[in-house]
Amino acid sequence: MSEKTESSYGVTALTEETIRSITIHAVMYGTAFLFLIPYAWMISSSLKTSQEALSPNPSWIPHTITFEWYIRLLTETFIVQWLINTLIIALSTTVLVLVVDSMIAFAITRLDWPGQRYILGIIIASFMVPGFVNIIPLFTLISDLGLINNYLAVVLPFAAGPIGVFLLVQFFKEIPYELQEAAQLDGFSTFRIYLQIILPLSKSVLTALGLFIFVWSWNQFLWPLIVLQQEKAYTLPIGIVTVRNTYTYQPALVMASAMIASVPLFLVFLAVQDKLISAVEMQGVT
Amino acid sequence: MSTKDQLSSLKGGFLEQRSNKELIEGILFSLPYLATFSLFLLYPLLKGGYMSLFEWNPFFPSESEFIGVQNYARMMSDGAFWNSLGNTLYFVVLTVPMIVIFSLGLALGVNRDIKGRGVLRAVFFSPYILTVSVAALIWIELYATGYGPINSYLSLTGINPPAWLQSYTWAMPAIAFMTMWWISGFSFVILLSARQSVPEYLYEAAKLDGAGSWRAFRDITLPQMRHAIFFVVIINLVWSFQIFGQPYIMTHGGPGKETETLVMYLYNVAFNQRNFGYAAALGYVLTGILVVVSFANYYLFRGNNE
Repeated sequence: MSEKTESSYGVTALTEETIRSITIHAVMYGTAFLFLIPYAWMISSSLKTSQEALSPNPSWIPHTITFEWYIRLLTETFIVQWLINTLIIALSTTVLVLVVDSMIAFAITRLDWPGQRYILGIIIASFMVPGFVNIIPLFTLISDLGLINNYLAVVLPFAAGPIGVFLLVQFFKEIPYELQEAAQLDGFSTFRIYLQIILPLSKSVLTALGLFIFVWSWNQFLWPLIVLQQEKAYTLPIGIVTVRNTYTYQPALVMASAMIASVPLFLVFLAVQDKLISAVEMQGVT
Repeated sequence: MSTKDQLSSLKGGFLEQRSNKELIEGILFSLPYLATFSLFLLYPLLKGGYMSLFEWNPFFPSESEFIGVQNYARMMSDGAFWNSLGNTLYFVVLTVPMIVIFSLGLALGVNRDIKGRGVLRAVFFSPYILTVSVAALIWIELYATGYGPINSYLSLTGINPPAWLQSYTWAMPAIAFMTMWWISGFSFVILLSARQSVPEYLYEAAKLDGAGSWRAFRDITLPQMRHAIFFVVIINLVWSFQIFGQPYIMTHGGPGKETETLVMYLYNVAFNQRNFGYAAALGYVLTGILVVVSFANYYLFRGNNE
């Protein structure tokens, strides 16, 4: 790029380009630095003594590092139980959504039957229904089913998600039909075609979608707040908010609880950030 | 549509004999989705409409009293409803343009010849994976008076900073700013990916024609990215209208009722006042607003671009 500029416009253009490039680097890295400040504050505060955490002179590296707050959280609250609850809910939601969505996406794209067009229409229409319109009647339904405080209350209502179907339909459509034809001639049953041809070929989209659902489910707030009413049944996002109400004026402890609630997801993010980002990109394409 | 045609032509003669079998298989494969969809989405949607016509008794539903459209009429004169609607609109106006412009700026910046593009992308995206509680709790501490870093540093410069989250003027902007940090990453990733798929030769051609960077931005970048921008505007509108967690955690709707949003109000009506019928009606009206806003946007964008 810069070589081309040099040859066509000469030296002045090159320096102009350089100044420009330096400015862009400065602005982008400056913004990135600001983006990281909240994390730095969370980490450093979680390791401070109570006195230092409430000091009017902000410090970014604690003078005395203490793990007191983590220990207190682990021993005095249900935070480990919340972590387990959140993990079970997020994992089962992910698996359920992948199975249910991929099955119907298969029926829509791979089987020739009259229902497919209507079903896709219904699913697209259900995009328009925002979650909260349903929370009151859904709450009465869940409570009639006796599922209050149960994991299933947070898992089942999200099994049928339009986004997943939409993404999978887009992807399944592109898989060559010759593969299916050949398998049929070899005597594959429809279920085997789904399980042994379509699913393995869709690994990338399934992983991306699965990660997205996992993060989304882990982070849910409003619905678990409504249906999980016992302290032991809380998920992390609900639990850590109640921790703050119990331990007033202990910012260090609150930041330690935020650390515990976010570190698992950060590890997932660091391990597979490309996949997660591509899950977001795919939503933009549809 | 084209899928179906393709499928039929490939299958040719098989189609006749197979159609019955495929009908049954199609139903079987769709069943898990359709069952959960009907039970947890369709049924509540209809029941919500039904409930909204009653003075609903949450403990003995059969003793609920039918009151027609009174729940909807009540909204007209319900000051708390209009207040929460106003607050929500204020939040939408504060966040949506800011997030769209900010994430577009980030996307265009990262798209340039820049070192460490992957790192920057990860940094800007990362807050999006946090739960609302974590983001809100961190920012409560950042905004805190007495020991929060924002006010400590502002005091050093001689400014007398407000108590952000307790201030009638600043509570909502403070929540909006925190929201921008929290969710811009989503829009940023989508816009970056859209920018990267604009063919580079368009810019080279423009350069040969002597177009400056502003003209290239206006005549190439924006039109080429319009679908992505439209998507980002809509999704941010929909999210912002549903804002709940941030004010619930950071301000409890205060000071006064200054940051009580629509979904918060609905939540309070349902689970504090136990007025399920009215809350269901509120949910319906809210959905109506969202659908109208989405469609208005759709037509606005279409009108602009075609």
